[in-house]
Amino acid sequence: MELVKGTSPMVDKGPEDTVTAWPHLLLMEILAVLGVTLLLLAMGIFINAPLRELANPDVTENPAKAPWYFLNLQEMLLHMHPSLAGVIVPGAIIVLLMMVPYLDRNKADIGIWFASPKGRRLALIALIYTPPILLGLIFFNEYVVVRSIISQPELIPSWLIPLGVIGFFTGALLFIFRSFKPTFREVLVGLFTAFVVTYFITTIVSTVFRGYGMHLTWPWELPPGALTF
Amino acid sequence: MSRKIIHLITANRVWRSIFRYGYPDTEENRSKVIFQTFFLHIHPVKVKTHTLKPTYTFGLGVIAFYLFAVLTITGVLLMFFYVPSVQRAYTDIQALETAVPFGMLMRNVHRWGAHLMVLFVFLHMMRVFYTGGYKYPRELNWVIGVLLWVFTLLLSFTGYLLPWDQLSFWAITVGTNIAGAAPVIGEEARTLLLGAKEVGQDALLRFYVLHVMLLPLVATVFILIHFWRIRKDGGISSPAEQNLPVP
Ligand code: HEM
Repeated sequence: MELVKGTSPMVDKGPEDTVTAWPHLLLMEILAVLGVTLLLLAMGIFINAPLRELANPDVTENPAKAPWYFLNLQEMLLHMHPSLAGVIVPGAIIVLLMMVPYLDRNKADIGIWFASPKGRRLALIALIYTPPILLGLIFFNEYVVVRSIISQPELIPSWLIPLGVIGFFTGALLFIFRSFKPTFREVLVGLFTAFVVTYFITTIVSTVFRGYGMHLTWPWELPPGALTF
Repeated sequence: MSRKIIHLITANRVWRSIFRYGYPDTEENRSKVIFQTFFLHIHPVKVKTHTLKPTYTFGLGVIAFYLFAVLTITGVLLMFFYVPSVQRAYTDIQALETAVPFGMLMRNVHRWGAHLMVLFVFLHMMRVFYTGGYKYPRELNWVIGVLLWVFTLLLSFTGYLLPWDQLSFWAITVGTNIAGAAPVIGEEARTLLLGAKEVGQDALLRFYVLHVMLLPLVATVFILIHFWRIRKDGGISSPAEQNLPVP
């Protein structure tokens, strides 16, 4: 060991905490690479990439869907103003994600999954809390339809109600978290979980549960062009 | 017998000119194999045992990188058979599937690899978040990571138009309409991206150039910085850093 100046992760750590990258790390990497190679080859052999008819600007697809990984945005588009769904919310998520390390500077729980048992519990709460609310909102706007209750002025259904709903349910989740007296990091773990669950559910609903006119359907009743993989 | 064969292969000047060390079963040769091999020297010679716990990283970053590499290779192969023109693009893909040896497999692997990369980059971000891997001194690498996530989505999206079938045409029309919803500059941003008011030849060319040149270059540079920073930040995060002071 050489002398180490200042603070480095290796200070006070004996050489017994390390192993040579060859073969230990390299072996793991090779295993991961082989596994993915097998998976990709199997997929490539058994599932063909889609190719539909030649592009035709005069024949609109119904439903017209973005690629699956943008369908979370398209799902939001059904419920709020396009600027909000397509630009402001995703932009805010990217900026908030980038800000996380500058806000959470406490290293006390680094390297621990979900920070602590309490962090794990908050993640679990968010995991249980988010789906019923999200699905409830989606069903409400499909079968009751916000705009059939109030459509004028436009500002109300496209901006105020969606922002109010997002604000209210985020606030309610934070209120539930408060009773656990969590650290800042534990709150972040819970909030991030709510984001991830929302991200996955909106993607899945819009990908395999929306057919003609982007209305809810069962996956086995989807029209042919509805799967944008 | 096998010893003899190994001796035959390795005990000559050609082999020795490529590998300047013996079989890496001693501490010395194990460090030499890492720092004298171009493709391995990105690794540190020694890693913390904690790094190797499969349930810490799940190998997700490595998998994301490997998928990027596979996509680069299959993508270059696909370029030999594809012309980004509205007259040819669609028939080129048809010909690729029917007339080019392994053309269908090539296209399939490129397509499913792209989807898998979108998925694995997100899973990797989840891993880093939930283990607190973004904390000091790795703030910047997290920010670079978020950008890599965005680049991955854009790479996938620009590639989606290239087959020029109904699926790609309408998916890109809908997708760029979402971008066009930006307040004030939305319409201009959409026109800049498409090179016209609607998806057509100009859009196909722009998406092609973005997909095969600009975005791969940008992503490569950011991935290299990402890896550089991992080394400079002392390798992967671990609980051993918990008591280190944060400036
Ligand atoms: C093209 C996409 C990406 C590639 C190829 C990549 C590759 C890697 C690799 C190989 C590692 C080493 C540890 C591991 O495998 O987990 C790593 C670590 C890391 N990545 Fe990524 N990554 C990508 C995207 C991202 C994203 C989207 C984020 C976050 C938003 C991110 C943030 C980080 C951070 C902060 C570390 C250090 C983690 C720690 O020390 O625990 N990366 N990345």
